[in-house]
Amino acid sequence: MTSAADPRPALRMVSATASREVALVIAILTVGAVFAIASPYFLTTNNLVQTLRAGLELAIVAAGMTLVIIMGGIDVSVGGILAVSAIVIGKAYQAGLPAYAVAPLGLLAGTALGTFNGFVTTKLKVPPIIATLGSMYVFSAIMFLVIGGAWISGLPSTLSPMVNGWIGFVPASALVIAVVYLGAWIVLSKLPFGNHIYAIGCNEQSARLVGINVDRTKILTYAFLGFLAGLAALLYVARLRNVEINIGTTIALEAIAATILGGTNIRGGVGSLLGTLLGVVFIRIMQNGLVLTGVSSLWETVIIGSLLVVVLTADSLRNRNNPRAQ
Amino acid sequence: MTRKSGFRTYDPLRARLLLLCGLLVVSIVAMSLLSPYFLQASTVPYLLQYVPILGLLGLGQTLVILAGGPGIDLSVGSIMSLVGVAVGALFAAGIDIWTACAIGVAAGAGLGLVNGLLVNVLRIPSLMATLATMFAFGGLALATTMGQPVGGFPPEFAWLGQGHTLGLPNAFLFVLLPVAVVLHVMLTGTTIGRHIIAAGNDDRAAHLSGLNVVRIRIGLYVLSGVLSALGSIIAMSWFLAARPDAGKGMELLAVTIAVLGGTHIFGGTGGIPGTIVAILVVTTLQIGLQLANISAAWQLGLIGLLLIASVSSVAGWRMPKRGKI
Repeated sequence: MTSAADPRPALRMVSATASREVALVIAILTVGAVFAIASPYFLTTNNLVQTLRAGLELAIVAAGMTLVIIMGGIDVSVGGILAVSAIVIGKAYQAGLPAYAVAPLGLLAGTALGTFNGFVTTKLKVPPIIATLGSMYVFSAIMFLVIGGAWISGLPSTLSPMVNGWIGFVPASALVIAVVYLGAWIVLSKLPFGNHIYAIGCNEQSARLVGINVDRTKILTYAFLGFLAGLAALLYVARLRNVEINIGTTIALEAIAATILGGTNIRGGVGSLLGTLLGVVFIRIMQNGLVLTGVSSLWETVIIGSLLVVVLTADSLRNRNNPRAQ
Repeated sequence: MTRKSGFRTYDPLRARLLLLCGLLVVSIVAMSLLSPYFLQASTVPYLLQYVPILGLLGLGQTLVILAGGPGIDLSVGSIMSLVGVAVGALFAAGIDIWTACAIGVAAGAGLGLVNGLLVNVLRIPSLMATLATMFAFGGLALATTMGQPVGGFPPEFAWLGQGHTLGLPNAFLFVLLPVAVVLHVMLTGTTIGRHIIAAGNDDRAAHLSGLNVVRIRIGLYVLSGVLSALGSIIAMSWFLAARPDAGKGMELLAVTIAVLGGTHIFGGTGGIPGTIVAILVVTTLQIGLQLANISAAWQLGLIGLLLIASVSSVAGWRMPKRGKI
C-alpha cells in the first residue's frame, strides 16, 4: 500500500507528457495565428467565448476519459450516457421539477450508467472496449425508446447562467471547466486514489498484489466519467435548452482523440489532464477556424484522424526503445 | 485438425456453435410469434439479402481478432465508404464499372495495409490505430463528396446486389458463401490457418517456433480491407449508388458478430462457422423486429445485451487471458 501511495511515480508521469504539452501550445498558437490572419472574425471576444461554450461538454467528458485511459480502460459509450442523462433532465423539467432537483437527477443518471460500465468490465470481466460498445447500444436503445424520433424542446433557462453567464470578466463556462479540471487533478495527483489509477494502468497484476482494490478503483473511475458525462448533459441542456436525437454521437471519439493528442498513453499508466485540455482546445479551434475560413466542416474528421495517425506514429517511434511501451 | 481434436471432452467453439444454433432457433420462433409475416418462404431471400455485406465485414474482423495482438479493425466501415466513393469517382471518369470495382478491391487492400503497418510495424495499439484511420478514411469519403451519394451506375451492375439465382441472392451465393468456405478451409485445413491460430494463442511461442507473426497479422488486415471493399461493391450494386456514409456503424456490428460468434477478443480461439451463425442470429432479430414493426431501438438494445452477455465471464467457458484492449 505504501508503495502505491508514493507520489514519485505520479511526478515522473507528469514530466513524461510535458514535451507534448509544449508542442500542443505551439500548435495552438500557430493554428490560431493562421486563422487570425485568414479571418478577421476569429480573434474577437465574441467568437472565442462562443468557441469556449461549444467546447464545454467535450472538455468535461475528456477529463474523465483521461482518468479512464490512464487506468488502462476506455469508454466508447459516454455519448450514450450523455444522451440518456440529458433525457432524464429534459423529462424531469417537463414533469415540472425545479432546477435544483433536476440537476442532481441528471448527475445521478450519468453516475449510475458509468457504474454499470465499471460493473460489466470488472465483475463480468468483459474487456472495456467490448463492454462499453455493448452498453453504447443499450444506452442508445434506451434513448430511442424514451424519446423516439422527437426532440424535447423549449426547456427552461434556469441552468443557462452556468454556461452563458459572466462572473466579472470571466465567462462562467471557463470557471466550470477550471473547477472540473481542478477536481480531476486533485483526484489524480493529490489523492491515493489517483496513484491507484496510475498503478492499475501500469500493471494491473502488480497493483492487485500490492493490495489495491482494483475492481473498486475501476468501478469508481468509470462512475466518475459517468458523473462528468451527466454534468456535460446538464450543461448541454443549459446551453441549447433542447434534447435532440443525435446528441452525443461523436463526443466519445472526440474525447478519446483529445486525450491521446494530449499525451496520455492508450496502454495506460501515463497521462496528463493539462495535455487533454490543450487537446480539446486544439480540436475546437481547428473546427471553429475551418468554419470561419469557409473550409467545409466535413474535413474536420479527416484532420482529426490524420493528426491522430501522425501523433501515434511519432509516439511509437519515440518509444521504440522503451520496453514498457511494447 | 483443430487444436483439441485429440480430446473428446469439451470444445469451447463447438459449445458456442450449439448455443448460437439454439439462439437462432429461439429467435426464429420468437419472431414468427411476433409477426405473421416472418414465417414465409419469401422471408428467406429477404433475410439473406442483408447478410452478405455484414458477413464479409464480420469474417474479416474474425480473422483479425483471431490472430491476436490483440487485434481489432474499427476502420472496416470507413474502408467500405471510401472504396465506394473511389469506385464512384472512377466510374464517373469513364472507367468500366467492373474494372472500377477491381481497382476498388485493390484500394481496399491498400487501406488494410495501412492499418496493418500502423498496428504491426509501428506497434500502435490496434484499437487506437484503426480508430484514427476510421476517422481519416470515413472523413475523406464524406469530405470529397460533400456528403452526397455518387450514383448513375448502369442497371446491369445490379446483378450482384439485386439479382437472385435459384431463389437465393447472388451476393450471398457467389460472394459470401465461397468466401466463407475458402476462409474456413484455410483456417482449419491449411498450415496458414494453424499459423494464424498459433499467433493468436501465444505470439512469443509462435515467433520462437519460426513464424513471422508480424507478416501474418499484416496479411489479415489486408484481407479485412479486401473483404470490406467487396462489401462496398455489393452495397453499391444493391443501391446502384455509392453512399459516402455506407459503412457508418458497420465496424461495431462487425466486431459484435465476430465476438458473438465465439472469437476470443484476445485471439487464439474462434472460427468461421460461429461468425456465420452469429450473423444469421443478428439479422433474424433485425428483420423480425422490423417486420413486427418494433422500433429499431430494440434491435440495438438486444444486440448490445447479446454482446455483453456473450463475452461476460458468466458465459462460462472463457479462460482468463492476458492483454488489454
